[in-house]
Amino acid sequence: MNSPDPGLQAERTALAWSRTALAVLANALLIARAGMASQRTELLVFGLLLLCAAGATQAFSAWRRVVLNQASGAARAPAAALLSLALLAAAGSVAAIGAILLEREVSAQAADRKHVEGERIL
Amino acid sequence: MASGRPLLRSRGPGWRQTGQEPDYRFTLANERTFLAWIRSALALMAGGVVLAQFATHLSPRWLVTGTAVALTGLSGPMAVLAWRQWRANEIAMRHGRPLPASRGAVLLAVCVGIVATVLAASQWPG
Repeated sequence: MNSPDPGLQAERTALAWSRTALAVLANALLIARAGMASQRTELLVFGLLLLCAAGATQAFSAWRRVVLNQASGAARAPAAALLSLALLAAAGSVAAIGAILLEREVSAQAADRKHVEGERIL
Repeated sequence: MASGRPLLRSRGPGWRQTGQEPDYRFTLANERTFLAWIRSALALMAGGVVLAQFATHLSPRWLVTGTAVALTGLSGPMAVLAWRQWRANEIAMRHGRPLPASRGAVLLAVCVGIVATVLAASQWPG
């Protein structure tokens, strides 16, 4: 914060966006995997959407770095970008709850099926 | 309403046209703080999903699933709060007011502490 070098501020801000993109990527993979495991296309599609969002966030990080280096650190981020990210995370939390509950349903059904088959063998 | 500064590059929302443009380092620090909160929300989200789907040896299941849903459910409001806090900070900086208090950090610490205690207690033998 007290650094006189605007280049360092630009780098820290770009890195912050980059780390956020990584976090989005991790969640995208988790939700996509849950979609595949529970055979739910909505989850899989949302996971892939999050994957694109992760790419977009990383691209935004690169763009931010360029802009900040040019303007000597004086450029501020468009509010729309931050709002979109917050809404994306909020939507992701709903999808993640869905992933947790839906896969639980699937594994419960699988356990029931195994139980029934076990009885038939006996 | 007009701040008397040169024409801004991007227009953006109304509240960004009022007050004085803050020192860019404060603006960037506010942006990074917002991103840190978003990453915390995303970590809670991932943590909930991983707990429910990969910690299959933990029991009872209803407690694990409940904790997972609670963690994930917290991440949505946290993301919204991150945006609101960023916006409130920007407005306060533009008008030279002190930054509004952020109680989110305390809330987060309390929640993580509760979850850790619940999970540890559920594994207590006997």
